[in-house]
Amino acid sequence: MPVDRLRLSRRRLLGALVTLGLAPEATLAARTRPPRVVTLFQGATDTAVALGVTPAGVVESWQDGPVYPYLRVALGGVPIVGLETQPSLEDIALLAPDVIVASRFRHQKIMPLLSKLASVVMLEEIYRFRATLAVMARALGRERQAELLGAQYLARITAVRARLAAHFGPRWPVSVSLIDIRADQVRSYLPDSFAGRVLSDLGFAWNETARTRSGLMLKLGGVESLPALDAEVFFVMRHSASPVVAEHERRLMTHPLWQRMAAPRAGQVVAVDAVAWSLSGGILGVFSLLDEIDAWLDGPGEAR
Amino acid sequence: MTERTLRLPGFSRRLELRPWRRVAILTAVLLLIVVGSMATGKVMLGPGALVAALAGPDTPYGLIVLELRLPRVTLAALVGGALGLAGWLLQQVMRNPLASPDIIGVTSGASAAAVGYLAWLAVPLGMRGLPVAAMAGAVGAALSIYLLAWSRGVTPLRLVLTGIGMATLLGAVTLFILAFSPLTTTLSAYVWLTGSVYGANWNAVGGLALWCALLAAPLVVMMRSVVLAPLDDTLATGLGVRVQRNRATILALAAALAGVAIAWGGAFAFVGLVAPHLARRLSPPPGAAQAVLAVLFGSCLVMLADLVARTLFLPLDLPAGIFVAVLGAPFFLGLLVREVR
Repeated sequence: MPVDRLRLSRRRLLGALVTLGLAPEATLAARTRPPRVVTLFQGATDTAVALGVTPAGVVESWQDGPVYPYLRVALGGVPIVGLETQPSLEDIALLAPDVIVASRFRHQKIMPLLSKLASVVMLEEIYRFRATLAVMARALGRERQAELLGAQYLARITAVRARLAAHFGPRWPVSVSLIDIRADQVRSYLPDSFAGRVLSDLGFAWNETARTRSGLMLKLGGVESLPALDAEVFFVMRHSASPVVAEHERRLMTHPLWQRMAAPRAGQVVAVDAVAWSLSGGILGVFSLLDEIDAWLDGPGEAR
Repeated sequence: MTERTLRLPGFSRRLELRPWRRVAILTAVLLLIVVGSMATGKVMLGPGALVAALAGPDTPYGLIVLELRLPRVTLAALVGGALGLAGWLLQQVMRNPLASPDIIGVTSGASAAAVGYLAWLAVPLGMRGLPVAAMAGAVGAALSIYLLAWSRGVTPLRLVLTGIGMATLLGAVTLFILAFSPLTTTLSAYVWLTGSVYGANWNAVGGLALWCALLAAPLVVMMRSVVLAPLDDTLATGLGVRVQRNRATILALAAALAGVAIAWGGAFAFVGLVAPHLARRLSPPPGAAQAVLAVLFGSCLVMLADLVARTLFLPLDLPAGIFVAVLGAPFFLGLLVREVR
């Protein structure tokens, strides 16, 4: 695959603009061809699709690989460049991208190499969907789409919050726990996490433990610490479809300590999709998360 | 004629040519692996394409060969070579064929420090401090082993036993940090503990090369006493070796060499154990040639392991340490079986 000299020189020009402190997005926005983007974490892939940009390469998804089901139509035929934790640099180089979207959290070590391959847009974290949206929109010259998505997010939040308030009546705001069941451990995501921020925007309250702990999540030591999760509504995701996880969930939910908590007693334990609620990391995942809450409010079908 | 005597004013040395011929052969093998590594990957390059790519980074595959494959294979060679040499020095000074950086606690010290750094300091300070932390850990571990083994001088046996105890203790510290660290760091910590040269760049190669040169340079002068290190203390003293000082210096050099290798490549296991044994088998009399062979074997082992690791399961790029163990473990077991018989 011959790399044409024109593209290389444009890449260098972009690099020069960046080093001079000029905004590269002006150049990117001005040209006719959409930039070739390689996204190196799930939230960036989601956000690129949301902005109407089909990436030139993406990293493998955490589950249902190589691409999450909700992105399969949009990403049909897009090459996979390895794992989010260790992307194949050769594959990225061969795609000759204009922009690489990476995160400091995952890709700090390979940053010097990535910046030789293309201009790099570096996000701090992988789960701050609003920061990812804003930064990528600027880099790809899609601010208009980002504004629309932001407005759409606010509208959805307002609508779902109104439904929740109506559903719970005087009990609103109810407290919530977001529980992730894995094969060998149970995690609880805190208000600062990906879905935690959405739930906070919706007006959910958090229990004492979640309010006082900093960080993204709580790792539960064992069933004895289950009471730390107690809340009026549980959203529960299974980390994978493996039977071990299902068995762990069954053991947990039949445990007396689990059954004594508020949400199980009130039948407010809601099974949710781990991809939408945690693994997607982008604005489209947030919309599916809100869809799931809508569906739950529509009827008791999802309650366990 | 396999022997020559080199005479210069104030300096004369007997040169045995046979081991050096083997060094030349192994160097050729090493270069072959380097060329093979540059040609192999997602795209296979023929000789013509490879030469074209070497012309500069602006050629079609120049970026891939010069910025991705070449620094990576070079870093692998340096890491493996430093570990091989460190292992050889340790086996000399400890008079024990099972001595190696991983067994006497140098690797464990570097690992504990690096995992602690990844868990708590990588976010505020960035990744640049990681090599420093690992080196400090390696040297700190070696120093404490030396001091703990001290009782009016150190004996090799006390060093080995203290080292093994220290390695176990530091291994426990590493596991403790892993269990208590924020979970997000665990993945990078595991990759580091396996040993990987993924994402190597020329800065890393330059840094490690400088350290290796600084640490290997004194050995040129010291080789005479390194060769005598395995001798009985009284015999060595009789030959004019200052036994304790010699032992401390060699130990410090070996720990520092292993420390810098681990700092840039992660905790590669087995290289420091296997490479010196291969060298000893190929060239029995201990000497400079044997040391160079240990370096070359170490380099070849890590380079081959990385070549397999990054190409066998494309597009997955696995840590090379996995394959060092795959190649190294059977050899280690075979060695144990032979020692028993």
